[in-house]
Amino acid sequence: MSNENITKEEIAAIFPKVAEIMADALGCDVEKVKPDSSLINDLGAESIDFLDIVFRLERGFKVKIPRGKIIEDARGSLSESEFEKSGVVTDAGVVRLKAFLSEVPADHFPTPLKVAEIPKLFTVETFCKMVIRQQRAAAPAQ
Amino acid sequence: MDGHFRAFSFVDRITSVQPGVQVRGLYQIPLGIAEFPLALAAEAVGQLAAWSAMAALDFKRRPVAGIANSVELLSPVRPGQTLELAADIEEVDFDAVAYCGTAHCGGIPVVRLNHCVGPMLPQEDFDDALAVKNRFELLCNSGATPGGFGGVPPLVLEQTGCETGKWIRANLQIPATADLFADHFARRPVFPGTLFMHKVLELAADVAGGIAADGGKWIARTVSDGKMRTFIPPGDMLEFEARLARHEGNSAVVAIEARKGKRVTGTSRVALALEKNS
Repeated sequence: MSNENITKEEIAAIFPKVAEIMADALGCDVEKVKPDSSLINDLGAESIDFLDIVFRLERGFKVKIPRGKIIEDARGSLSESEFEKSGVVTDAGVVRLKAFLSEVPADHFPTPLKVAEIPKLFTVETFCKMVIRQQRAAAPAQ
Repeated sequence: MDGHFRAFSFVDRITSVQPGVQVRGLYQIPLGIAEFPLALAAEAVGQLAAWSAMAALDFKRRPVAGIANSVELLSPVRPGQTLELAADIEEVDFDAVAYCGTAHCGGIPVVRLNHCVGPMLPQEDFDDALAVKNRFELLCNSGATPGGFGGVPPLVLEQTGCETGKWIRANLQIPATADLFADHFARRPVFPGTLFMHKVLELAADVAGGIAADGGKWIARTVSDGKMRTFIPPGDMLEFEARLARHEGNSAVVAIEARKGKRVTGTSRVALALEKNS
């Protein structure tokens, strides 16, 4: 699923509500939540918070977000074995991931990148884009 | 007698179930116990939801305590009463279950759970999947023999500091042994999130009790944003901090955080209302 055509304006339009949801889920001030904040490194999110955030986003935006959706979307057309081997993201997978997570600076991607470490890359903008994709997927075809 | 499916089980009978969709059931509060906190009525609703969620996944996964968006505490219950339980599953998959539910007593709502989420984990880590499945069949057919719960074990909050009406710090020593650990869970004993909530409510009432009440009494009405971040094994020592977050007239909110060392174990907020003595 492509995300290149998600515009800054679309992200800006939903960011305040996403930020509010994140602040509620993480128990922090909404001012602390910036588009480029890393959920884990900057906002201290843990795995239970990711679950919380996803369910709150579902309720807040009335969209369905299957668990693991970001990684599934990031993989795109790559098969699971093309994307990762023994828990480590392949070179092709990293290229795909960097394109998909275009909001994450390239130097934030460690080498090697373990699949379990992918959530460390997620920023608030990553979740904004996920919501926009799900809103688009749910919208009736034009 | 073995405490498995008895010592901390709060569904005696499942009266109707659509796995992964909805479930209804009953629980008779044993007569011989001193009290039945509303936190355990919430536990009963959560356990009922868990049966529906587990049945939807052929008992390969089981939910554990995670997030309670809000738990409304509506009316006290007492030993000997029967809880009429209902849960609606909002979503369930291999990773999580989201549900809401209620417990009624004689038609009167006693607790309402809104938007609760439990991570779904491998059943075999916690219990024997076949035994759990057989228990489900029993609950759906003849039902279980009531009376297995022997009461809340002694759980004493030891206050370590306070500023009256503003904050309290207290330690809670989780018992190393207790009957409930044979049932929660059979293969991996874990201190229940709802007993954690029971102590959170006690602390919140203690903090609010320091606010001038003009002869009234602060009553906990809602627990919100409850989140369990780690499993609490038997024998752990938790450090609680309860802090008055808001106070306006007859309403107050107390924010509570529990830690083990530097690690946050659980958090929640309790809304209380001041009830005037009549």
